[in-house]
Amino acid sequence: MRLTHLPPEIRPVLENGIPAVMVTCSADGTPNTTVISQVYYVDETHAALSFQFFSKTIRNVRENPRAYVCLADLRGHASWVLQLEFQRSETEGPVFDTMDMQIEAIASMTGMSGIFKLRAADIYRVLSVEKLPYPTWTGASSDDQASTGA
Amino acid sequence: MIPGKIIRFLEQYANVAFAGTRDRDLVPYGHRVCGWSVGADQRTMTAFIPEEFRPKLIESLQENGELAVTVEEFPSHETYQFKGRYIRDRDVLHDDVEIVDRIRRRFVRSLRPLMAHAPEEALNAFVAKPSLAVEFEVLEIYLQTPGPGAGSRLIPPIEK
Repeated sequence: MRLTHLPPEIRPVLENGIPAVMVTCSADGTPNTTVISQVYYVDETHAALSFQFFSKTIRNVRENPRAYVCLADLRGHASWVLQLEFQRSETEGPVFDTMDMQIEAIASMTGMSGIFKLRAADIYRVLSVEKLPYPTWTGASSDDQASTGA
Repeated sequence: MIPGKIIRFLEQYANVAFAGTRDRDLVPYGHRVCGWSVGADQRTMTAFIPEEFRPKLIESLQENGELAVTVEEFPSHETYQFKGRYIRDRDVLHDDVEIVDRIRRRFVRSLRPLMAHAPEEALNAFVAKPSLAVEFEVLEIYLQTPGPGAGSRLIPPIEK
């Protein structure tokens, strides 16, 4: 089911510490895929992404504001797919301060202290949210016949 | 040409990957990648895509050919992004499935210390079974390991 807001059940997924993946596209049509350490819940219709060092992503969303984010929900056995639109960048205020603290916590947990450094909190409007359940695990693939493609 | 060091990373250490495409309106889409292989010519790669991440993939690739695949070793975070052009897609073969199974075992082994109580099937299910193989020509490789060098182009080398 596709939603146009962030449902309550996505909040633990945003806080599970598992890196998310973000896809953006430059004005000349080149996609860019990057791993992001944090997606922050601002309100039902807005999320903030940490701007640390992924400069191509930062450039892309300023040229073309559309962005795709995929979150891993290992407890819920699902991926969450967000379609977002970049709105603005914040370098101070409550969202920035909270994200800065969380980034530091993630950095210390993953041995990346001093490398992860929040430069800005980028605020995005939520265009759509979709939950994609993982297929039921039935054992290693090579026990089966190879599946067919297109 | 993909350097030998990066081929070793892809074949022996990397355990998670994701692909990005875009449609004719420049709207980006993501596709989980459950496995990958490097062509014998060292200029092409094949990404294996699970069924639930096929929507928008082939129509976008056939429309514009643009593909970016990021491959990471978790938890070290060594990461490279491969940008290139779609060549073709095909059914998944038995050898491809074995590659995905090897990567799944690597991934679960790397995650287990951090998620000691997670059910085995939940971790296994994260690396889904492949449904489609997408072959592409690698034109550029970028370093994406977090740190000051993140985003720098490795292939082709930047002329000084």
